[in-house]
Amino acid sequence: MAGGSELQALTRRFETEAAESLLSGYRPLPGVHDELVDADGKLRPHWGPLLAALAEMGVEEVNRLFTAADRYLYRSGVFYRVYDDAGGGERPWPLAHLPLLIDEGEWQALSRGLIQRAQMLESVLADIYGDGELVRSGALPAAAVAGSPEFLRPLVGVDPHGGSFLRLYAADLGRGPDGRWWVLQDRTQSPSGAGYALENRIAISRSLPDLSRSMNVVRLAGYFQGLRAGLTRLDLSGEGRVGLLTPGPLNETYFEHAYLARYLGFVLLEGEDLTVRDNAVYVRTVAGLKRVDVLMRRLDADFVDPLELNPRSHLGVPGLVQAIRAGGVALANALGAGLIEAPLMMSFLPKIGPRVLGEDLALPNVATWWCGQKAERERVLDEFDDLVIAPAFARTLPGLLDDGPVIGADLKPARREAIIKAIRTRGVDFIGQETVRLSTMPLWRDGQLEPRPFILRLFVAATEKGWQVMPGGFCRVSDSVDSRAVTMQRGGRSADVWVLGSGPVDQTTLLPAPGAAEVRRQIGPLPSRAADNFFWLGRYVERAELTLRLLRTLVGRLSSTIEGDTASVAKLTQLLQSWGAVPADLAYTHTTRHAFAALSRRDLAGALPSIVEAARQTASVIRDRLSPDAWRTLADMALMLAEPVPAKGAEAEAHERLERSLRALSAFSGLASENMNRQAGWRFLDLGRRIERGISTARLARTLVGETVSAATLDVLLELCDSQITYRSRYVMTESRAPVLDLVLLDPVNPRSLAYQIDAIAEHLDQLPGHHGDEPPLPEERLAARLLASMKAFSANEFDDARLTEVEGQLMELSNDIAEHYFIHRSPVETPWDLLA
Amino acid sequence: MKYDIHQTTAYLYASPVPVARHIVRMVPVSRPGQRVTDSHISVDPEPAEWVQTRDFFGNQVAHIRLETAHTRFTVRTSARVEVDPSPECDPASGPSWEEVREAVGDSEDLSPLSPVHHIYPSPAVALKTPITDWTRKSFPAGRPMLAASIELMRRIYADFAYDSRATDVSTPAIEAFEMRRGVCQDFAHIMITGLRGLGLPAAYVSGFLRTEPPPGKERLQGADATHAWVSVWCGEQIGWVGLDPTNALVVSTDHVVLAVGRDYTDVAPIGGVLVGSGRQKLSVAVDVIPMPEEGAPAKLRPAPADEADAVDDATENPG
Repeated sequence: MAGGSELQALTRRFETEAAESLLSGYRPLPGVHDELVDADGKLRPHWGPLLAALAEMGVEEVNRLFTAADRYLYRSGVFYRVYDDAGGGERPWPLAHLPLLIDEGEWQALSRGLIQRAQMLESVLADIYGDGELVRSGALPAAAVAGSPEFLRPLVGVDPHGGSFLRLYAADLGRGPDGRWWVLQDRTQSPSGAGYALENRIAISRSLPDLSRSMNVVRLAGYFQGLRAGLTRLDLSGEGRVGLLTPGPLNETYFEHAYLARYLGFVLLEGEDLTVRDNAVYVRTVAGLKRVDVLMRRLDADFVDPLELNPRSHLGVPGLVQAIRAGGVALANALGAGLIEAPLMMSFLPKIGPRVLGEDLALPNVATWWCGQKAERERVLDEFDDLVIAPAFARTLPGLLDDGPVIGADLKPARREAIIKAIRTRGVDFIGQETVRLSTMPLWRDGQLEPRPFILRLFVAATEKGWQVMPGGFCRVSDSVDSRAVTMQRGGRSADVWVLGSGPVDQTTLLPAPGAAEVRRQIGPLPSRAADNFFWLGRYVERAELTLRLLRTLVGRLSSTIEGDTASVAKLTQLLQSWGAVPADLAYTHTTRHAFAALSRRDLAGALPSIVEAARQTASVIRDRLSPDAWRTLADMALMLAEPVPAKGAEAEAHERLERSLRALSAFSGLASENMNRQAGWRFLDLGRRIERGISTARLARTLVGETVSAATLDVLLELCDSQITYRSRYVMTESRAPVLDLVLLDPVNPRSLAYQIDAIAEHLDQLPGHHGDEPPLPEERLAARLLASMKAFSANEFDDARLTEVEGQLMELSNDIAEHYFIHRSPVETPWDLLA
Repeated sequence: MKYDIHQTTAYLYASPVPVARHIVRMVPVSRPGQRVTDSHISVDPEPAEWVQTRDFFGNQVAHIRLETAHTRFTVRTSARVEVDPSPECDPASGPSWEEVREAVGDSEDLSPLSPVHHIYPSPAVALKTPITDWTRKSFPAGRPMLAASIELMRRIYADFAYDSRATDVSTPAIEAFEMRRGVCQDFAHIMITGLRGLGLPAAYVSGFLRTEPPPGKERLQGADATHAWVSVWCGEQIGWVGLDPTNALVVSTDHVVLAVGRDYTDVAPIGGVLVGSGRQKLSVAVDVIPMPEEGAPAKLRPAPADEADAVDDATENPG
């Protein structure tokens, strides 16, 4: 025996012994396959190194690393949205920390099977929307196609631009008790999960970096590069623009859309961003209409065009189907590809496979019978109790299978009768399916391993080099030990999937250093909708900051004895009341109560919870363009505001909360200004801030400073404008009217002065893409010029009530002009003679 | 029978609409049983983009983009259509309804004329147990499909009141069914809902009725607007048969087909999106004039007024 083999044997023995302790309490479920141990309870060899490493690290260290992985996902903002959550909120994606391990030999077989299946499905789609041979020859009943909500009649006879229907394919797999993998469901509409898989990989490989290297875990980046190149190649106009079409932030997987767009360098687009002109598709940007030729869609086909598909859709682009018919745009996947997802397809694919491929399917699907034809219907009724009864075309069937598939034997008599009667009347709506038991994989529970059933989703992309399988996957691990596939609902946990290479992994396809996903610049001009949201985000954040500053100034001010304070506190309280930030029916002397109300009351439109929520909503739609840290500070801020108010709130407590909130906001501003490149997005964010700050500075000066004004009130103004230190260093005297107003209004180097805001606004307008030097100035540019002039033309003392009111009005008008010029006009869009009201 | 058909449809908006995109289905085409020898469509204002095409079911569709601000959108169409009498057919002949149902499941035809498109729920036809149960009374075991369908049509005619105030264009079939009243669109949707509930193929047909009845006959309901009825598939031999539950008629030469689909949404004369707000008003004027037989002197009627004066409420109530 050669020395190398001895060493290997030794290593294996060591690994086995170390793993023994972890395995001692592991009890696989009876009658199902287990990934970790074989039927005799012996460890499967490819898990050895992982278990040995865990054993060596010890429970505490492993727990610590896994907690760090959770924290990484949380900090990165990895969320999925829960539709029925009362708050419509987002939840962290729970990670099952141990990856699923697949050895190379098995992976090769899986890859071949998947590619073969992708080829078959592509042929099936091309035939259904084209020649129709499968139906004519009886291989696929016409009614099995016609009943699918994804059989899109407007697309019949339309060749997809670029030649293929499927550019992305995913399959949900389960491994049966006999050790064979089965396809539980084909995903052809717009498969989700690849982005989560990528994030899970980053989180876990950060926690176990040495291990993932020593175990030769194959990298994922090559798959995404292939996918990107395959889509970019379809670009017709050569402008290199690929969009990722999303339903928007309310979608449960929106995080993934934003994440993938950022990772792949695609522009994240909503239907509202797009318009169709003469069979071409354009993005509305701040620099005008820009063509987009390729759309990777995460929007279900039915919703993409209210004109020819679902007229109730507000998420789509009117005229898009016509542009597709004319070959003006490529969609990935093509509209109508979702047809394959109808569960009844699985009753025909086993026979169609050999017919279109000339060979048997390596990766079969679960045995399925469609009840639309007599022989199959009778079979399903005969074996009713042994089968899963499912809707033929969708996940649910209203009135009968509202929660999706059921197991025949589980049904109560009345429901059983109703379903059997329905199958006899409208068999076309039902399938019967073999019950599948899933295999189990180990779940880490504080030092214990527990077997849990799982479903494995694998991804395939059409690339220039043909079909490419992502060497990994998205694994959903059940929280329960019920191994029947049908009981696996949403929820559970997600696990990374490690494909173990036989030798060191090609490092050229290495992902960038952990945490730093590959950086690509946003392509092309900023979409108008994104600009709109940046602008308002800037305004909301500034408004929140000002409100907090006002409150901080108020709290405690009355307990001191400086004369003149009472008057300014009353005025500022009135100002806050007029914004709806504090209760209108509370005397101004209750400054602490005002502060807590403004920090906590959701019913006040101008209070912090409302402003921060508005900021969060605008930020959520431009999430692909914000750094995760900036996003997180807004989330932290919202959490902070949700903290309960102490019954008898003390002044110190109020102060402390105001300070914390202000710090969180400064963190956001810092992150936003430091981490964004100086492109249009940042300019609109800053424009929003500057306009808001300009308006409020003018208003504060107008509110506090009258014909005569006390030194104390001037001090309040200086504090609000964060200018006390500058003032003191410049003037060795108490506050007096002219120098204070000069500093607050006209000083061009004071970053809080009115003049400074106006300078910044003029500079932004000059740099924005809508500006053309040789054309007559735009309305907003004319206004900015007038404002600049008045900053120079008048002395501080001349800024009386009327002049300040005028400046405020001009800034508001400026805001409207910018909206008019750059943003999408959100006039109501209606269907004429509302056919489907 | 030959007809000259003129239709003017106008939408009036309370405030100017700067941009709009429409699809218009208002021009009849040749299909089995009818030939269109001449047709014309014009719209006002002048469209920025105009594409004519056929949809899946063979209906003529115009895709229109308007970029001229307008407060009125007018579509004028005219067509000359020759309609063949339906072939004589004994309702008691032909396959039973159960046989028809199995034949649809076994069908190897996915073409637009196939019954497979018309057995499933569609955007405006959700299956409803009360309607299915009510329908079932006409479908005892083994009864011929056509005879049972004709009885169903007559029951709708007998049990339901024609009432244009009871429903509007978006009323779900189940509501009209519970009220036992409605107009042609409701009756067609109810009949389709019932048939599909039993797994049987039924299509929605929009079209025209001759405006003036032949001498000695009553004027038909729905003659002054676009009408709607049902087409039922009765097996390979008989094929599609038009049944008009509003008038209890087996369709023959009084009916001209405009468009066929799964329900109203597939054949809606106009669909689209526009930027704007405020109330809309709609006016429709239809004339379906029988052409004189060869050799007989022509008796001309004036074409409908261009500017339709009678402005209805925002929704048309077809037939």
